[in-house]
Amino acid sequence: MKAPAFEDVLVGQEIPVLVKGPMTTAHVMRWSASMENWHRIHYDWRYATEHDKLPDVMVNGSWKQHVMVQLLTDWVGETGWLWKISFQFRGMNVPGDTLTAWGRVVRKEERGPYGVVDLEIGLKNQKGDEGTPGTASVVLPRRDGPAVPYPFDPGALGVATA
Amino acid sequence: MGVNYITDEVKAVIGAESEPVEAFHPVEPSEVRRFHHATMDPARRYWDAEWAKQSRYGGLVAPPAFPAHAFRRPPAAPDPLDQMGDPDFDGRNRRMRPGLPPVEVPLVRLLNGGYDYEFFRYARHGERLFVKSRFKDIYQRDGKSGTMVFVVIEDLYSNDRGEPLLKTTNTLILR
Repeated sequence: MKAPAFEDVLVGQEIPVLVKGPMTTAHVMRWSASMENWHRIHYDWRYATEHDKLPDVMVNGSWKQHVMVQLLTDWVGETGWLWKISFQFRGMNVPGDTLTAWGRVVRKEERGPYGVVDLEIGLKNQKGDEGTPGTASVVLPRRDGPAVPYPFDPGALGVATA
Repeated sequence: MGVNYITDEVKAVIGAESEPVEAFHPVEPSEVRRFHHATMDPARRYWDAEWAKQSRYGGLVAPPAFPAHAFRRPPAAPDPLDQMGDPDFDGRNRRMRPGLPPVEVPLVRLLNGGYDYEFFRYARHGERLFVKSRFKDIYQRDGKSGTMVFVVIEDLYSNDRGEPLLKTTNTLILR
């Protein structure tokens, strides 16, 4: 997939979704082990369900955040920059869930020689329940404009005109 | 009006700011590999050295939010698994960041409420990482399952050249 230029983006457009799963206890364990997270709700079923009264062991919020980040880094490619991302863990996700990260463009604006695109984002389970609502801002090159600087310096965007 | 968890002791740590704390070891290729395997993100910037050399990063990097999970237990620090015999121990302590004092609230359940990130550059393999943390706010709210305490932490991650990598605001919920 070709990385988008600012001019390619339409307000209201959906970006390509990122699907993960079905998630299993092994996926949750692999993540918890990789980050050395010993929080029992991620691997101790009895603790999760009896002590914390949860429906099952929990898919880590820390894992979901990387999925939300990947949704945007996959879309903007190596020529754009994921500048800001924000989300809340409102819904619980459990083994058996297939998770779909999605994004919709809500605003676009020229800033300095670049373009800034704001999105609504989220992570739905297979029933369509939204569990991780959020927002993101990405910086894209304009079609005949300079490359987005790396490392990224927000000062390069100049002052917002809107 | 239920219990007041925001005692003077808790209030005293609001605004507390750490000195920059160095991660115990530099960014390791194998650690990065386990991360991107676990998140199922096969982007070349994490593993393809030839490609990465030609890229804007100039070499292999870690996933954008990697530094937020790269602060590991030093070898001589107490083993958190020593407490696993306690049936109420959730596997975490209340020291939420390496450089900040613990938040002494008698609530046993901890949930991650969410994150707010701003990215500047990705951590390079071999780079040393530093974090400077601050308790931005600690407050309580009444919810369906009783009173919850929200701990809002700001973190600024940087590398060994003092270059900023990312800024985060993380909300942890005790209930």
